Amino acid sequence: MTTATLSQPTSHRVLRNIGFLALPLIVIVWSLADPTLGREVLEWIPYLASGFMMNIVIAVLAMLLGTLVGALFGILQLVPYRLVRLPVVAYVQLFRNAPHLVLIFATTYIFPFEIVVFGHYLPFPDWIKAVIGLAIPASAYVAEITRGAILSIPTTQWEAAKGLGFSRGQALRWIILPQCLRRSLPPWMNVAASITMGTALASLVGVHELLHAATDASTAVRRLDFTIIAYLVVMAAFFLLCYPISRLTRRLEARFNAA
Amino acid sequence: MTNPSADTAIVKLEDVHLSFGQTQVLKGIDLTINKGDAVSIIGPSGSGKSTILRCINALVQPQSGRITVDGTRVDQLTKESERIALRKRVGIVFQQYNLFPHLTVLDNIVLAPTRILGVDRREAEKLARELLEKVRLSEKADAYPGQLSGGQQQRVAIARALAMKPELVLFDEVTSALDPETVGEVLWVIRDLIRDGMTSILVTHEMRFAEEISDTVVFTENGRIVDHGSPEQIFHNSDNPRIRQFVGGLSGGRGAVRDGEGI
Amino acid sequence: MQDMSLTDLFVSLTNRIGLNYEFLATGYEAQIWRDGFITTLYLIALLIPVSLIAGLLFAACLTSGKIWLSAPVRGFIELTRNTPTLVQLMFSFLVLNTVVSNMLGGAQNNPLSPFFWVVAVVGLHIAALHAEAIRAGIEAVPASTVEAARGIGFSQLQILRYVEVPLAFRSSLPAIVNNLINLVKLTTVGNAIAVSEITYASIMVWTQRDNVVSLMIVILLFFSAINIIVARIGLWVERRLAVPGYGL
Repeated sequence: MTTATLSQPTSHRVLRNIGFLALPLIVIVWSLADPTLGREVLEWIPYLASGFMMNIVIAVLAMLLGTLVGALFGILQLVPYRLVRLPVVAYVQLFRNAPHLVLIFATTYIFPFEIVVFGHYLPFPDWIKAVIGLAIPASAYVAEITRGAILSIPTTQWEAAKGLGFSRGQALRWIILPQCLRRSLPPWMNVAASITMGTALASLVGVHELLHAATDASTAVRRLDFTIIAYLVVMAAFFLLCYPISRLTRRLEARFNAA
Repeated sequence: MTNPSADTAIVKLEDVHLSFGQTQVLKGIDLTINKGDAVSIIGPSGSGKSTILRCINALVQPQSGRITVDGTRVDQLTKESERIALRKRVGIVFQQYNLFPHLTVLDNIVLAPTRILGVDRREAEKLARELLEKVRLSEKADAYPGQLSGGQQQRVAIARALAMKPELVLFDEVTSALDPETVGEVLWVIRDLIRDGMTSILVTHEMRFAEEISDTVVFTENGRIVDHGSPEQIFHNSDNPRIRQFVGGLSGGRGAVRDGEGI
Repeated sequence: MQDMSLTDLFVSLTNRIGLNYEFLATGYEAQIWRDGFITTLYLIALLIPVSLIAGLLFAACLTSGKIWLSAPVRGFIELTRNTPTLVQLMFSFLVLNTVVSNMLGGAQNNPLSPFFWVVAVVGLHIAALHAEAIRAGIEAVPASTVEAARGIGFSQLQILRYVEVPLAFRSSLPAIVNNLINLVKLTTVGNAIAVSEITYASIMVWTQRDNVVSLMIVILLFFSAINIIVARIGLWVERRLAVPGYGL
């Protein structure tokens, strides 16, 4: 019993590291074993990489926008004015429950392909619509996280701040929010990972991102083994990006729970 | 409460050594317990008292030495199924009661007989109600553990152990986690049990209780048995200075029970 | 007849506030749209038990203590959690499905439909999340409670069955409900491989009618409603299973 639990972590660590690198290793070994396939892979890698850049750009912008709006909405959900609170609560409820794909469809097909700003026609590309489509659910999740974090701070903290002469705003700024930030980091990272993976959905509205690039490549090459390896590259790219985030999230969660 | 006609060893430990990693917990324990006896194990914290009980119930495996329980060589059991067979015959009650929080009091008692021994549900329930009466908790049959006081939970735990009709019951510091006012009701139940002739091994800090109910008292320190004998010998006539110091320091404490107290 | 006039009334009323539901009065498009809702509901109804059963099996493997059982399951969980479900679906449909077709001597012999692949990929993905939640719940069962069960004479399997799973299920229920809400949302990925669930059916309608906003409002309300129902049922189960004096 005791020896089993002691020996598990090392074997788990080894397995975990093998697992982390398994997908890229398969791609590399397979490419080396079959040179004609390897040449195709080498030729398409830059194209796939440019696709993946798009995923990262969309994810970063969507999280940026979603976090700003979400943090604001999270606070607005708690204001004592019903006229402010109710529309925000409705927004959060509606978009938290909405599939990402539906929101990407919504922004893509509802927004025009160009907008007029001071008489200038500016193009409104699909990838920016995808950013907005993903920023909407991100903002709804972040609003819930912010609200939960503020509520989780014991009222005694508010009282202590008040006792020291802080105003409500000052207490929020100097006492409550710093504590919230710490608590909401792990769930925020979960949202970031989820939105990052959601960027693949943009391929369905024609945005040139990684999954779209892989589909292009496999239709151009027309080899089953290349199709397999192209999708393995897609999975490996997302995995190498998201797995470390989720490991870090779990480690932070464990540390905060222990504290 | 010695019963001369049943003067056969039911538990025998010979030169038992056990360590957890680098820490030596038991350094050669020899102990013989006869059928129908009540034996109290006393001694300072960390002297390996609880570990002795866990060895007897095969919850931990010693590195060396022989443990015999009613003809079974516990130290040689290799299969979990053999250990389970042993545990059916040896009941154990823990310091933290460890009732199953999602089951009612009655279900806590009924679960093991029906699922392990295959007893008919109605029969098991009948026995459970008798046991609840014995521990004076008949009216709590449908309550959940979370609704009971510590002393009540511990009495349910005793009933749960008895429901398996064990040949021997181990009590592991069963009153240490209780509020002082509920200690009495638990000790009362245990004393009843011992009076009925149940072979019992108790690890306890209740010195006066140990003195009152034990046939034999065992004093352990640093993983060894320093001395053992009748309560009279250990508590009043020991020539070992450590024992005198230990007993003297604690004997003024709580633990005496009068009949009916706390019930 | 009563039904028809109600539809007309709805169409004309919504028309007045600028929404276009005229297709509801036509037979064909209305049929497609209704079937889309039904397909989505059918997917959800099928996926919930599939994900729960598979999740329980995964959790049993994870906590079995046998590395040949736990390591593959752990590997699958990490893979499915950290790659987009859409990519998994495309990979399964374009690669695994093709391999199956080749093995059976042609696509016409392949009994596996796009619908099957959606159920398999989404079901196993959510099952992996369930398994993680249940495992965490099992690990949260106090060691002393498990020791008590062992002390009484329960076998490892009996401890799992009567003590750990009932307790773990209670503590992991909020996470499981959360996963089920994700499941409801994930059914839309079927769109990518032409499973005619609600988003796919809606595209068919709005490419003809150019009424995206009108359809979008209904779709968003539909998913909100389903997820509120799922959350309510979850809360109800949680209350039913709540044990006095334990947990929250």
